Amino acid sequence: MLGKGVVGGGGGTKAPKPSFVSYVRPEEIHTNEKEVTEKEVTLHLLPGEQVLCEASTVLKYVQEDSSQHGVYGRLVCTDFKIAFLGDDESALDNDETQFKNKVIGENDITLHCVDQIYGVFDEKKKTLFGQLKKYPEKLIIHCKDLRVFQFCLRYTKEEEVKRIVSGIIHHTQAPKLLKRLFLFSYATAAQNNIVTDPKNHTVMFDTLKDWCWELERTKGNMKYKAVSVNEGYEVCERLPAYFVIPTPLPEENVQHFQGHGIPIWCWSCHNGSALLKMSALPKEQDDGILQIQKSFLDRIYKTIHRPPYEIVKTEDLSSNFLSLQEIQTAYAKFKQLFLIDNSTEFWDTDIKWFSLLESSSWLDIIRRCLKKAIEITECMEAQNMNVLLLEENASDLCCLISSLVQLMMDPHCRTRIGFQSLIQKEWVMGGHCFLDRCNHLRQNDKEEVPVFLLFLDCVWQLVHQHPPAFEFTETYLTVLSDSLYIPIFSTFFFNSPHQKDTNMHQRQLSLPLTQSKSSPKRGFFREETDHLIKNLLGKRISKLINSSDELQDNFREFYDSWHSKPTDYHGLLLPHIEGPEIKVWAQRYLRWIPEAQILGGGRVATMSKLLEMMEEVQSLQEKIDERHYSQQAPQAEAPRLLRNSARLSSLFPFALLQRHSSKPVLPTSGWKALGDEGDLAKQEDEFVDLGDI
Amino acid sequence: MWWGGRGQSFNIAPQKEEPEMGESRMPEPRSRQLSSCLASGCLPGEQILAWAPGVRKGLEPELSGTLICTNLRVTFQPCGWQRNQDTPLSSEYDFALVNIGRLEAVSGLSRVQLLRPGSLLKFIPEEILIHGRDFRLLRVAFEAGGLEPQAFQVTMAIVQARARSSQARQYLGITPSKAGQGSGSRKPPIPLMETAEDWETERKKQGARGWRVSTVNERFDVATSLPRYFWVPNRILDSEIRRAFGHFHQGRGPRLSWHHPGGSDLLRCGGFYTASDPNKEDIRAVESMLQAGHSDVVLVDSMDELPSLADVQLAHLRLRALCLPDSSVAEDKWLSALEGTRWLDHVRACLRKASDISVLVTSRVRSVILQERGDRDLNGLLSSLVQLLSAPEARTLFGFQSLVQREWVAAGHPFLTRLGGTGASEESPVFLLFLDCVWQLLQQFPADFEFSEFFLLALHDSVRVPDTLTFLRNTPWERGKQSGQLNSYTQVYTPGYSQPPAGNSFNQQLSVWDWDLRYNSAQILQFQNPGYDLEHCPDSWLPRPQPSFLVPGPPSSVWLFSRGALTPLNQLCPWRDSPSLLAVSSRWLPRPAISSESLADQEWGLPSHWGACPLPPGLLLPGYLGPQIRLWRRCYLRGRPEVQTGLSAPIISGLQDELSHLQEAEEDLG
Repeated sequence: MLGKGVVGGGGGTKAPKPSFVSYVRPEEIHTNEKEVTEKEVTLHLLPGEQVLCEASTVLKYVQEDSSQHGVYGRLVCTDFKIAFLGDDESALDNDETQFKNKVIGENDITLHCVDQIYGVFDEKKKTLFGQLKKYPEKLIIHCKDLRVFQFCLRYTKEEEVKRIVSGIIHHTQAPKLLKRLFLFSYATAAQNNIVTDPKNHTVMFDTLKDWCWELERTKGNMKYKAVSVNEGYEVCERLPAYFVIPTPLPEENVQHFQGHGIPIWCWSCHNGSALLKMSALPKEQDDGILQIQKSFLDRIYKTIHRPPYEIVKTEDLSSNFLSLQEIQTAYAKFKQLFLIDNSTEFWDTDIKWFSLLESSSWLDIIRRCLKKAIEITECMEAQNMNVLLLEENASDLCCLISSLVQLMMDPHCRTRIGFQSLIQKEWVMGGHCFLDRCNHLRQNDKEEVPVFLLFLDCVWQLVHQHPPAFEFTETYLTVLSDSLYIPIFSTFFFNSPHQKDTNMHQRQLSLPLTQSKSSPKRGFFREETDHLIKNLLGKRISKLINSSDELQDNFREFYDSWHSKPTDYHGLLLPHIEGPEIKVWAQRYLRWIPEAQILGGGRVATMSKLLEMMEEVQSLQEKIDERHYSQQAPQAEAPRLLRNSARLSSLFPFALLQRHSSKPVLPTSGWKALGDEGDLAKQEDEFVDLGDI
Repeated sequence: MWWGGRGQSFNIAPQKEEPEMGESRMPEPRSRQLSSCLASGCLPGEQILAWAPGVRKGLEPELSGTLICTNLRVTFQPCGWQRNQDTPLSSEYDFALVNIGRLEAVSGLSRVQLLRPGSLLKFIPEEILIHGRDFRLLRVAFEAGGLEPQAFQVTMAIVQARARSSQARQYLGITPSKAGQGSGSRKPPIPLMETAEDWETERKKQGARGWRVSTVNERFDVATSLPRYFWVPNRILDSEIRRAFGHFHQGRGPRLSWHHPGGSDLLRCGGFYTASDPNKEDIRAVESMLQAGHSDVVLVDSMDELPSLADVQLAHLRLRALCLPDSSVAEDKWLSALEGTRWLDHVRACLRKASDISVLVTSRVRSVILQERGDRDLNGLLSSLVQLLSAPEARTLFGFQSLVQREWVAAGHPFLTRLGGTGASEESPVFLLFLDCVWQLLQQFPADFEFSEFFLLALHDSVRVPDTLTFLRNTPWERGKQSGQLNSYTQVYTPGYSQPPAGNSFNQQLSVWDWDLRYNSAQILQFQNPGYDLEHCPDSWLPRPQPSFLVPGPPSSVWLFSRGALTPLNQLCPWRDSPSLLAVSSRWLPRPAISSESLADQEWGLPSHWGACPLPPGLLLPGYLGPQIRLWRRCYLRGRPEVQTGLSAPIISGLQDELSHLQEAEEDLG
């Protein structure tokens, strides 16, 4: 039918304000669809997963047009996910399953991935939370990975509607206890089935050996030492069990303020300069304690300002830089550009796309982060200075900036293993509060700030600008960002290594949650202390603080001269940060929007050509090697990816999830041509070992 | 106030306009040798007006050399660089005078003077900045130490030469110096569509069996803006054509643009000339030409939903201002400034419309007529884009150049006027808008095009190089007049299908497609897209057997395509009201015009005759959402310091190099 049962279509190009006017008219429910409803579709449960509630005869709308096409099926809520089991699941092709995420199906939403839930009552859209008096006709779920699901509950039994809606709301929106995380049920049920490949070993930084290895790798072991003073988290629960500090610093100092005020080593540059971080001392009113703090800091600074240490430049990330509040607001605005209930909305925003994008200022925040990282890189690389990052807890922007600096300066971090080790070192061991920042427990919405996502977006800019410098692709980053919300990996579900260790190893103790949240954001030091530091550091640093013009000039010169030379992908890598160069991470943000699909287009179109040539190069190389050393012939399997692929779409590998689309324009036939490509799926799933449960 | 006179050790007199003064005034020591060396690169009729040693800045590596101003161009000639006789123009170092968009002289940190034609330089410049209208930037710092007068002279010479130059006057009739070409045997690299043979060959290639080449305009007496030959339906007589075309704006009646292998025909024509009063016979002729033997006819209003010529011009000016290296837009306001130019909006509109039309052409067998009042701007743009989207042939290097030659050059796009060659009014870079659209397609479908971004850039830059007549004339008639071929036609009437006259003046004519005038062979190699997938090459794509649809009666359905939707039309021509002419099929109702539903939905939402496969092979449907339309950075931001080298393409070409290297190595071993 031409009309496709569209209701509310106005005339002309001026589409009506997006509405939820239309429902399926009774005559449009085809009887044959009802019949299939009886057929049982199996729900795949993970070890330890339990079904909580379910409802049948739910109609899942196909998102992309305002027509009300849909698929009937069952909506199930387990303690891990919300799943929709469509009745035409039989259409699922075996070839296609190879491209599926192994844990999360096309119609699965993990409970942690749910962002907002809306109900439609009498054609009005309302946010759903708490106890409901009335149950909606339509349920709209916005996910944190930017999918939008719409379920029509009109044909569902009233009892079932009540159960499923309140079940979903309760399990996704209500505050939760840590021990209720699915992670624990899963870990209990699925023990010992993880095999780690020693060759592909991500350094976890949970042993003294790992830190020593890193010190040795970066040649930082001359001036810095790994300490085990916090073994068993006796000094502090915020810091990892092992970390690295300047060699002359007595270990007792660490205990003094529970690790606050201690310069902690992040990374050493080839020229000997190092990146350090430090968390603020607790704020005190008592003059006596203040005096002690001052003299303590005095001692510390004296130590790191003496040779053999380089000149130190302090970089206070708590003031004069981004606030977490800004990041939160920007992302909230930004994501709305992509969370669309129907495509009419998308068309409405289309004309003003750039100004909407700009007004969210998300891209500008990315630019500022990259710029800060370049500034620090300049200090270390060109001026041979140590840089000390200061932040209240040294666990948000510190992680972000220090990881970015390392990505730019250390080619090791641009390999997949190196990148995973970097995340492990700076974010997981660095005590980034994933639990709070992702709001996994729904305990405090204000703490929810996508700092890690901001980091991944910054990395994406680098990958996008210099693809040959990275071992991984943007798809890896996208899949990594999705794994933030999959509670079978422990990596992103704790606030600190201490919290993880105590909970993962002694779950039966059910420890009270360690809420080490401290006071509101303010400057790093109190004013007096601030003043003191400037005096302490003397003229060496005041020169840097006062002459910001000179700093800008240095930055410009460094930046321009690097970009004017040919890029060495195995050396220092700087991003472009001018206005037109910072872009939207299209793969992550647009992948669920069918209109954004370009059939036969996008990067993947040249990918097969590239892989083909790589294969050929590799086999020729092998042939030549064989002739040189005819005795040894280790035949490495050439990558056989994307072979025979007829026409992929620009949304690859996520596009196949649009299979239910009623749009014939979509590439349903192209997928059948994909042959033996399990390799790709395997590769992309390897982010799993980041977690190493 | 003139600055040079007081307290200076040298005196500079304002220069008089004598073209030959340049050489004689140069300081003695090295000028003799140098100027003879410089002169060796000159084209016939070109004179060196002034020169000064300097250093090219802004681009890496910094080059020292000589800045030369002639009556044709500004050239920065690096030390030791010798102009190749085979490539008399350099794409890298030449700057045509007409290409100069803004000229600035700089002294010290604070003295900047914007030099307009006729302005007088107020100081000795240390540096000169030439902003090209093609977005390039030439920045030359002059050498100090006694050569300041030269710096002054060359700057003033540029100011004056620029004032005198006009695009139309600059054409010098370059003749290729390669051996064998003087004999008249030189074949143009691309069929120029100036002979009946070219049209006949192309017609056969497209498989347009119901069409023939008409010679009615052989003497340009139907319309000077039309090509000498064009395609018309087989059954229509030339006399009918002559009469029917009179009822269209500027005599541009309906002609075939492209025949879809599936059977549809894409036509283009000018607006109906409403004041005329055609008789019944004429109306019947017009209608059957529009119908082209199909029962389903769609009339597309080309101007609907597309920017006006003035819009395009304004957007382009804004874009150029935004992309200047010293543009004052803050980084965090860049995106809204870009949006404010509306350039990308126009690109989007063109792509969207072209995509819709290619769906119309592909989804069923019908006649689709592009109608624009003048038929010389947007019709060319839409028709070329539709062919790029629907025909793999048009995406090859050869096919694309033939397409531009046919739909733009031969079809009479007024290049000279639109590119500003005849003064500011009616300037509107529609062709550059088209190139941007092609670039978007190239971005979205990197494996479907045989040509590369570099090729598009080369074409983009060529429109301001006054070396060939391709972009320097408004109509095929003017072009023919200039190259001298016309005489033979006007004096002796030659019937169609005859041999072109053997006079070598005709064969000598060069076109923009003679790339070796401006690009060396290494550069021309880069025109190839290394990522081109041979599977997409047209040879591997067999057109479906085409049903011969020749409906003798009136069309069963006539539609107007406008605002993204089809509405039934009662009649094709505006002159007669006979509502009973068409039997509107009842199952065809205009779709509700919801902007979210693309035409593709509508067309294929119906029981599809494409079977299980949703998209016919060879058809590309571009994305035209806000986030998908990008800025052509490597073109528009070239003047900025952050110019980048290619991203993904170099990977492939790098691999290709490695591959051939290894293959050689293996052969050596074996």
